[in-house]
Amino acid sequence: MIEITNLDKYYGSHHVLKDINLTIGQGEVVVIIGPSGSGKSTLLRCMNYLEPIQSGQISIENQPIGMIEQNGKHKEMPENQLNKMREKVGMVFQNFNLFPHLSVRENITLSPLTLGKMNKKTANETASTLLAKVGLSDRADAYPDQLSGGQKQRVAIARALAMKPHVMLFDEPTSALDPELIGEVLDAMKELAREGMTMVVVTHEMGFAKDMADRVVVMDQGQIIEVDKPDVIFQNPSQERTKTFLHKVLTHT
Amino acid sequence: MTLDFGILLQDENLPLLLQGLWVTIRMTFLALILSCFIGLVIGLGSMSKYKWISSLCATYLAWFRGTPLLVQLMLLYYGLAISLNIDLTASLAGVLGLGMYSGAYVSEIVRGAIQSIDRGQMEAGRSLGLSHWQTMFKVILPQAIRRMLPPLANEFIALTKNSSLLSVITVAELMRAANTIVADNYKYFEIYLTIAVFYFVVNYGISVLIRLLERKLNVEGVRS
Ligand SMILES: Nc1ncnc2c1ncn2[C@@H]1O[C@H](COP(=O)(O)OP(=O)(O)OP(=O)(O)O)[C@@H](O)[C@H]1O
Ligand SMILES: [Mg+2]
Repeated sequence: MIEITNLDKYYGSHHVLKDINLTIGQGEVVVIIGPSGSGKSTLLRCMNYLEPIQSGQISIENQPIGMIEQNGKHKEMPENQLNKMREKVGMVFQNFNLFPHLSVRENITLSPLTLGKMNKKTANETASTLLAKVGLSDRADAYPDQLSGGQKQRVAIARALAMKPHVMLFDEPTSALDPELIGEVLDAMKELAREGMTMVVVTHEMGFAKDMADRVVVMDQGQIIEVDKPDVIFQNPSQERTKTFLHKVLTHT
Repeated sequence: MTLDFGILLQDENLPLLLQGLWVTIRMTFLALILSCFIGLVIGLGSMSKYKWISSLCATYLAWFRGTPLLVQLMLLYYGLAISLNIDLTASLAGVLGLGMYSGAYVSEIVRGAIQSIDRGQMEAGRSLGLSHWQTMFKVILPQAIRRMLPPLANEFIALTKNSSLLSVITVAELMRAANTIVADNYKYFEIYLTIAVFYFVVNYGISVLIRLLERKLNVEGVRS
């Protein structure tokens, strides 16, 4: 489904991702954890090429995203091709990034309508279905500013789903939320996971990782230091750094 | 000194001034549209990832902001006609001159407003499969326009005031009408005070209109 090979990423001279290799299967839920600054967000953002990469390759459903080989040369793919690839990859951000000038319904229908994926009627029906799914049927005509953080994030999930993505990426979807609102967003994500959506989730919610992850990826200093099933990672990790990190997180929350 | 505003009613003076006012309004309005168009193009261009486009836009800005409007008008109207045989009518030269000059300032307003929008908005649009320009026009600009309105009001008011310079290139606008009248009757104070009030009313109208527009846009969504 997603295949990352020998990925390197620099910000200027700062080497933030070092030789990342990771394969994510269809329907798999992968949770990425690791200390702040370890490169979790950057890795996630490379998966839909919001961040350009310097070497290596990322492909989604066997098609490269971002960089392509042409005449033996590595180069950036044309914008329209990149946009097509991104339609397959939904993304949910830490601070929601809803469009504040559009109503909830319009937030959801903007992309399908603009890209001619649906006519107005189907788009509105899709929006209603998705809003019902995230428990916000009554807020279709509200504007983002009128919603709580948890509601905003659920709208953001619905907005991403409207493009019928094959993969969903979540970058700390609950980190900006008040504690009592975290549950409603996690529930929406669990629902999605149960339906078989392929998901890559960066989170500090270890409960979610334990319950929902098929595999947990541990990152430190730009590297993947360990990948395993959640019970192995949480009970018997092979890396000392994983233990240290988990000890810190679990005793602080 | 006695003031004699009765002078307005003599010799067709008032109709002459009103005619001038109408020309001023028309020229300003056309220049304003041109300046918005140029401002948008230059503003967007200045953020282009293509170096040659952004430097071209930077040069435009530097030139039109760095030289006096009066000199630009002279170049356009007399300069082009005499050395290049491009004979623009005074009104055309006037609208072009004002529009290009003000467009430089509008481009900075456009750029500033766009850059003030959180970059997460562009990322959200792109992650949904929208292109850069689709996101720009559907997501970024609608939000940026709200932020442009207050500085645009200033710019449009400046534009109206600057239109008085068109008198120098023979456009029969308000200032020139006043000049013609005082040349006849020497009632400087009455006539110039009258046109000052006219300019003031036009500019007051602009600021009220923009404030209404701001309020309307704010009701339709963002309060942030
Ligand atoms: N736009 C940027 N320009 C320069 N350096 C950056 C940029 N974004 C991130 N970095 C650096 O890259 C490294 C990885 O950052 P990243 O945001 O991926 O970490 P993270 O694991 O998501 O951390 P957190 O848990 O705090 O979100 C950090 O050292 C960070 O300072
Ligand atoms: Mg992060």
